[in-house]
Amino acid sequence: MAESSSGFSRRTFLTGAGATGALTAVGLAVGVSGCTRAHGKPANSGSVGGDGSVVAFRGAHQAGIDTPAQDRLAFAAFDVVTKSRAELSSMLQAWTAAAEAMTEGKQVPGGASNPAAPPADTGEALGLPASSLTVTIGYGPALFDDRFGLAGRRPAALQELPALPGDALRPDRSGGDLCIQACANDPQVAFHAVRNLARLGRGTVVMRWSQLGFGRTSSTGSSQATPRNLMGFKDGTRNIKSDETDALDANVWVGSNTDQPWMTGGSYLVARRIRMRIESWDRDFLADQENVFGRFKSSGAPLTGTHEFDTPNFEQADGDKPVIPDDAHIRLASPEQNGGVRILRRGYSYTDGIDAATGELDAGLFFIAFQNDPRTHFVALQRKLGMHDALNEYISHTGSALFACPPGLKAGETWAGQLFG
Amino acid sequence: MMAAASARRRFVTLSAVATVAAIALSGCSSSASSDDDGGGSATKVSITLTPDGCVPSPASVSSGLVTFEVTNKNASAVSEAELLNGDTIIGEKENLTPGLSGKFSLRLEPGRYAVSCPNAKADRSEFTVTGVASSPAPDPSASALAAQASKAYHGYLISEVQQLVASAAPFTAAIKAGDIAAAKAAYGPARTHYESIEPVAESFGDLDPVIDARIDDIDDPSTWTGFHRLEKALWQDNSLAGMGSIADKLTADIAKLQSLVADQVYQPAQIANGCVELLDEVGASKVTGEEDRYSHTDLYDFDANVQGAKEGFTVVEPLLKKADANLASTIEARFSDVLDALQPYRQGDGWVDYSTVTQDQRRVLAQKVDALAEPLSHVAALVG
Repeated sequence: MAESSSGFSRRTFLTGAGATGALTAVGLAVGVSGCTRAHGKPANSGSVGGDGSVVAFRGAHQAGIDTPAQDRLAFAAFDVVTKSRAELSSMLQAWTAAAEAMTEGKQVPGGASNPAAPPADTGEALGLPASSLTVTIGYGPALFDDRFGLAGRRPAALQELPALPGDALRPDRSGGDLCIQACANDPQVAFHAVRNLARLGRGTVVMRWSQLGFGRTSSTGSSQATPRNLMGFKDGTRNIKSDETDALDANVWVGSNTDQPWMTGGSYLVARRIRMRIESWDRDFLADQENVFGRFKSSGAPLTGTHEFDTPNFEQADGDKPVIPDDAHIRLASPEQNGGVRILRRGYSYTDGIDAATGELDAGLFFIAFQNDPRTHFVALQRKLGMHDALNEYISHTGSALFACPPGLKAGETWAGQLFG
Repeated sequence: MMAAASARRRFVTLSAVATVAAIALSGCSSSASSDDDGGGSATKVSITLTPDGCVPSPASVSSGLVTFEVTNKNASAVSEAELLNGDTIIGEKENLTPGLSGKFSLRLEPGRYAVSCPNAKADRSEFTVTGVASSPAPDPSASALAAQASKAYHGYLISEVQQLVASAAPFTAAIKAGDIAAAKAAYGPARTHYESIEPVAESFGDLDPVIDARIDDIDDPSTWTGFHRLEKALWQDNSLAGMGSIADKLTADIAKLQSLVADQVYQPAQIANGCVELLDEVGASKVTGEEDRYSHTDLYDFDANVQGAKEGFTVVEPLLKKADANLASTIEARFSDVLDALQPYRQGDGWVDYSTVTQDQRRVLAQKVDALAEPLSHVAALVG
């Protein structure tokens, strides 16, 4: 690319656009400064705007789970095509080094100046700040078959998700041997991470599906405002926040009672591509929209309250009918109705243009949830929601996957050593 | 072929090494100095694009590393500067609209070159490099291996073009005789010895467009010539009316290619980059079925591109093994993967109709080509 004045102004524009993210991220860094893990640190003084925060790559848990949800997502699922355990291991080593460098705002390690060789880094994030990038890896159930000698390391909780009510799953948007979740406050930084790992994996893995997300739909930090989903509602108000240590231990982190000690401190990622029937939803009258969720659209307060964070009163009735309907989304998904079970949601809105068959928008929620056992958490919840949720009239689940996310890496450790033991 | 402009741009991506072809031609032993990052002791030459032309300043420099700094002040119709050695583009900077600037660097041996800026009033200015040719490469065994590779690839090129002439003859003869069935049968095989060396043909500027342009590559369809014009006549128009002259021109253009190739000697890094280009050809137009859209003979071209790349890799492999034996064995294995994946589509001496290959099958083929091309892209820097 030409080193030109217009090239420079484009870069300036990009970082300028990320300035809002920077303010948010700085606030977040302050918000979590009391934690034992440093989730953010100030930008290098050389940074010229944008979000220069760096989220620590190594630690007890992988970044990108309870760390503050960034604004953008690039997610990819891969299938392993090599038969060689050594090749897979070598790729995971290369991925570790590249992911760590990228989260620090550096380029993928390797040569960059030999004019006769392609640069090791593809370059589109050059000059952009770290943008709070997190790169989170997960392993699908199929990886633990007989191909790579991993059958003995398969956790009992890592089973293909069962068929669930309301499924309209497409095989080309589901499953995968491995996943990479890259989140950042700059979409180009997130995409750059996935693209470069895919490149390093060429010949070892092929991308099975990928998804970009453009607006976080959950908060994981208590200082973050609850965002709205594409239906215009605040959803996930009661999500687990990063400072709820007890709730995280009880619901998200795999404990020492696991059948596979290598997963202690890890978590299970469920991804569901939930398409919204946008056109139908947009013509539903306001009171019905509010009954579907059980919240007021404008304030986000439960129908029994006046403020967003008021605890819903599921007992309150208006005559012989409950104020929050029996089939309202927040009732069916509430911990009160599910034996206290909570999940950590970290989803993003998506759009993939239009549905070629109908011309309608293909948009919705790319739902991501972390939990310490998908059987007792997501599967149990979705069995109930898929059967009874009023929302079902307006959504369909078109993609699905489950991955085991190992714990964070210790100093000097790589994803290869951690997986293969 | 790829769209003409992009095909040309791609070939020049090996600019630094392309320069050494000039050395080889001038009879000097060459040193492909491709490790230079363009910094340090480079001589700077500025080129300003104006509606009138693109005169380099200075117009004469000493041999060695030269960095061309190209600026477009106000030339709305001119957007690129090319450095030519004869008719071969050895370096360029393009897409420079008014207000933009850019640069490119290469190591130049003594000789007479030209700076060209298409669409300017004077679109060509002379550029001279003085001094003495560089000394031989320091490692005599590497130098000997490089010379062997160049010689072997030269031999391959000569042989491929001879076979192209031989296999195109029955094809053009059938066209001229109005024998549609015979011409259809000869079309796929006639193309294979072109596809195996396509990046070389593309390096001769206008030759690839007249031999291998698809209709999308042409501004004025009435000027469309070459294989794909005849393909359309055979499979879509079902008429060879007026095709005799197109067949004659194809014969003449192939003869021209043969005479040009006779003088071409390529250095190992160029050969390696040519291999990557061949695989990019597969990914750009063969896997998609765009190349032979009327005849669906894409797998002939697909196989020929891969075979051509394999031949190129084979001749530079001894050099690569000295630098990175693991990379060499990875690439060998991945060539086998691609060629094995093609075998199910064999039909007699040829290949099945590509329209019978499903989207899922095409995707597997494309992924195997990508898996091969990625490590192959690192070879040039190691053998240069």
